[in-house]
Formats: sequence, structure tokens, C-alpha cells
Amino acid sequence: MDSATVEKIIKEIGNIAPAHEGEHVGRVVAVGDGVVAIDGLSKAVMSEVLVFEEGKGKRLAGSMEAQGELYGLILNLEEDGVRATILGDTARVSEGMTVKSSGKILSVPSSEELLGRVVNALGEPIDGKGPFKKTRLMPIERQAAGVIDRKSVSVPLVTGTKAIDAMIPIGRGQRELIIGDRGTGKTTVAIDAIINQKYEPEATRPICIYVAIGQKESKTARIAQQLREQGAMDYTIIVDAPASAPAALQYLAPFSGVAIGEYFMDKGRDVLIIYDDLSKQATAYRQLSLLLRRPPGREAYPGDVFYLHSRLLERACRLSEEKGGGSITALPIIETQEGDVSGYIPTNVISITDGQMFLVTDLFNKGIRPAIDVGISVSRVGSAAQTKAMKSVAGGIKLELAQFRELEAFMQFASDLDKATADRIESGRRMVEVLKQKNGQPIPLEKQVAALYAAGHAFFLPVRVNKVTEVEKQYMDFLDGQYAKTLASIRKSGQLSEDDKKALNKAMEEFRLAHAESFK
Amino acid sequence: MTMETAYAQALWKMVEGGLTPAKAVRALEVTLKVHGREALLPRIASAFARIAQRETKRSDIVLTVAREKDIHRARLSAKKYLDGMVAKSARGGSALGRDLKTQIDDTLIGGWRLEGKETLVDASYKNQLLALYNSVTRT
Repeated sequence: MDSATVEKIIKEIGNIAPAHEGEHVGRVVAVGDGVVAIDGLSKAVMSEVLVFEEGKGKRLAGSMEAQGELYGLILNLEEDGVRATILGDTARVSEGMTVKSSGKILSVPSSEELLGRVVNALGEPIDGKGPFKKTRLMPIERQAAGVIDRKSVSVPLVTGTKAIDAMIPIGRGQRELIIGDRGTGKTTVAIDAIINQKYEPEATRPICIYVAIGQKESKTARIAQQLREQGAMDYTIIVDAPASAPAALQYLAPFSGVAIGEYFMDKGRDVLIIYDDLSKQATAYRQLSLLLRRPPGREAYPGDVFYLHSRLLERACRLSEEKGGGSITALPIIETQEGDVSGYIPTNVISITDGQMFLVTDLFNKGIRPAIDVGISVSRVGSAAQTKAMKSVAGGIKLELAQFRELEAFMQFASDLDKATADRIESGRRMVEVLKQKNGQPIPLEKQVAALYAAGHAFFLPVRVNKVTEVEKQYMDFLDGQYAKTLASIRKSGQLSEDDKKALNKAMEEFRLAHAESFK
Repeated sequence: MTMETAYAQALWKMVEGGLTPAKAVRALEVTLKVHGREALLPRIASAFARIAQRETKRSDIVLTVAREKDIHRARLSAKKYLDGMVAKSARGGSALGRDLKTQIDDTLIGGWRLEGKETLVDASYKNQLLALYNSVTRT
């Protein structure tokens, strides 16, 4: 192209004379550790998104090669400027850089297109499957639904884990904390709950969101692979803020996850969201707060760390029919140190949630998995949502297990036991075996009911303790083959009718006769 | 905020509010004496100098063009925005000549860019081409 043509094009562009809007700007005066101090921006508001102007002084070609816009988020409004966190690579920000105010509160895109995808804390796809076409922007910070807009928890959320569904039932719209030391199977319990949703009818199946905060990339990749293999990724979204991501993104990830969930809840859908884990989010927030020079409090956390978690978890709710009847069920995870649940963050989240399940290292090492300590685990609202079928078979299990644990401890000192005590111990041992479950293998509700019904009717008592799991599996296969109608009836009605009980009694008898060698 | 910065800021606000510099300094001196903080005076002076430097930077208005010959045309095009910015200035219209600086930046390709008083108006061709490129490639 000759220079005359170039001049002509430039003149033509000049003639277009578009209207220019003045933008509200500030200037970076200090930058470090993911936090910037900005002079100016006196009209900016809290949580407003900023755009760093990287192109100044660069040639057009250089600006075009930039890796997308670099954003910041205002976290402190000060007398002579603002302090913001950089939502990206700090190395791209330099002193003197112009920062534009966007006038927008941070939002993430959400739509059905996100299902089956992995996104970062800003809702940008990171799985290499291309950009989203049509999405709706959902604000990251939103006021939780008020009392009038809510409805009490009444619909069960089946996790597929017998110990949970029987003794610590979870309802849709509930917040149930999963707490325990590292390596006790917290993530496994949560992932099994996601996998189990494949047994739900499509119309009522919850949309699942797994928020990975400060996790290893390899772990998140493994979880995505597991969900894909189990066919659970079709209804799941993964929000990933790995350990290598800036603290700001780790702090924002749970809010992004719930904002994406709210899109579906507003449409009347049920959502299951897992925050794995909030201890790491609190740590990221502590880092940010210290860099922002906010006064440190207990364990150096800032004063509003309780509010950080309460405003997040309050967004989990069940909406009234007038508001569409959607729900968000939250399963936050907290990691404890050496089983200490009296730490600052664990006690905060325990007090916010509607119950908690404790996973214990001792049980895990004894091979009792999931390693849930049912004695100290509780669900405050879930029993209202438990199906009648499960209620009828699970009523006495918690008590039976508690008695078993006491007797088991007592047994260490007593050599001679009366028959009633010995029977109770034997029954307890078998119940513990029945409640064991392999990871990645959630069990549908009707089979859980059948297994617990059998356990409650001393079906496994003649079986050797180390054979209980095997016999249970054979019995389930037998029911699948011979009593599929009964299982379907329990699933459909959610109740254990007299006919179902008769059928199960008959099934147990038939199975006992067919496998007499296991019942000696 | 450190104590000396707080005092320096108060001093700045007193002068901005119409008090003569001599009276403002005298008032500060009395206050410091009452509280037994005269030792802070040298540090307050340094903090005051920093504030003054920052405020000077803030009051600058920079008009950037791609070529020297574009300055006149750019001034005319940007007049509306310039007037708005000058109105914001505490020193009013007289500040225009003193505060307006012009710069040449050939990376703008054409047009102009006006920055100052927390406002940025980017009417450069580079900005328009970049916006066009982004809208085509990033949607």
C-alpha cells in the first residue's frame, strides 16, 4: 500500500469524527504482590472493576498482541486514592500506568453453555473448548434472598453415600459443612454426591458446580476426568482457582461459583455447589487483606473474615414458589489441623452452616470409609427433607452405632459379656460394614433403603464380618435382577409400602437360601 | 496514614480552603505545641512536599498528538473536554495555559488523547482501530 493511500485512509477515519466519552481514570503509584495503589479515581465505588491501560506508548501491532484486557478489583477506598487487586499477571502492571474505571461491579458470565466446562474465577473458559457464545452476566456480589423469598428445606438431595443419606440427610437449599483433616476423604464425599445426581430424573437433577480453591491443578484435572468418565460432567461446571492463581482469584472463586449457580436458581433449577475448600479461600483473603494494610485480627485474619463466609453461604437457599422454587445447596469443605475443630475458621463456618459431617483420620486408617464420625456429625434441617422410605429404615441406626461404639470401648476391659451385649456388638460391627462404601461408587436411594432394611432385620448377622460387604454386593445384584420392580417402586414413591416390605422380606429369604454358605 | 501525613494533609486543606500559607502554618504550629508534637515539623514538611508534588501531577492536563502539525487541530477538537477539565481546576480558566502540556506520541497514528483531572478522552486512531480489532476478534 502506498503512502498516499495510507494518508487517505487516515483522513477518512478522521472524518468519521466519533463522539468521545471522557473516561474516569487514575494512575498506578505503587504495585507489588498482586495489589496496586492508585492515585485518583475519586468517584470509584467498592468492588468496581478497573481496566489497566497497557497499550500506552506501544505500537498498534504490539497492543493487538496483548493477551486480553487486564482487570483489577477495588478493595479499599482511601482518602487520596484507591487500592485494588490485580485479576491477572502482576508483571503486566507498571508504575505510572493509566487505570480506567469501568463503572461496573465484577460479574461472571453464566448460561447453559457452561455445563461440562472448566472456567476460571472470572468465568473465562480454560479447557480449550473455545469461548461462550451467549451468556448472561451475573454479579459476583449479590444480596442473599430475604426471608419472604425463601421456603423451608423439604426436598432431599441424595448424595449416594449411605452413612450421609441415612444419618445426616441433606435437603435442597441446605448448607452442610464437610470438615476433617487432610486425606480423610472430604473431596471424595463431595464428588460422589455430584456423581450420584446422574440417578436423578433430568427434570429435577441439580446442576452441580465444583469450585476448586487453591488446589493442585493435577487434582482438579483428575476430578474433571473422573466426572467425565462417570457421565457427570454433562451437568457439572468446574470453577478452578488453582494454588498457582493469584490470591485475588482464589478469594473470588467461590463468589463466581455461586453467581453462576444463581443463574440456574433464578430459572427455577436446583443447584449443588461444592467449595473445596474455604480454608484456602480464607488464607487467600488474609494475604490480600494484609497486603491492603487492613488491621489483622485473630490468627492474622482480617476482622471481616466471618462476613466473608456468611455472605457467601447465605446465598445458598431454597426460593419460594413465587420466585421460581429454585435452590442452591452448598457443601463447603474445611480442612482442619490435627482434628482441631476449635480453630478460628472451622468454628466460624460451623456456626454459619446447617450442620456438619466430621471425617476422622482414625476411622479412615481403620478402613472405615467414608470416615464419617456419626456421633459428632449433624444435619440441622435435612431430616425434614428425608424420604419416608429412608426415614423408616434409618431411624435407629445412629443410636445403634453410638451404643456399639460405647460397648466396643467397654469391651476392651471386660472379658465376659452377656448375650444381649455380645449380640449388640456383633450387630454394630456388621452395621459399620454395611455403611462402608468405595469411593466413586455412590448408591441410588432405593438400594440404600434395601441394604439398610436388610441390616435392620438382622439379615447380615449370620454373615462373617469380613464377608458383609461382599454379601451385600451380591444381594444388591440379586435385587437388581429379581426385584427390579420393587426397587423402582421405592424410588418412584419415596416410600416403603407394606408390599415393598413383603417383597424385600421374600427377597432376603430367597437370597439366604441361594447363598446358604455365606450365612453359616 | 502516618501522623505527619495527616498533619500535612490538614495543612494542604487549610490553604485550599482559603487560609493564607502564613496563617495556616501558624495554626499548625500552635496545634503541635499544644500536643507537644513540635518534633514532627520537619517530617510534616516532607509529607507536605509529597502532597504538593502529587497534586501538581493531578492538575496537569496533557494533550497528546501523533504529529506536531496536529496540535492546533487537536486543540480545537478537544476544546469541549478541555473546558470541562479547566472548570474542575481550583484556579479556573487561568490554569489552562499553565497546566496544559502537549506531547508527541507517534504510536497514536492520528487523532489526539487528552488526559488530566482524573479524566481520559482517547480520540486517537490507534484506540479506535484497537476497539475495532477487539470487537471483531474477541466476541
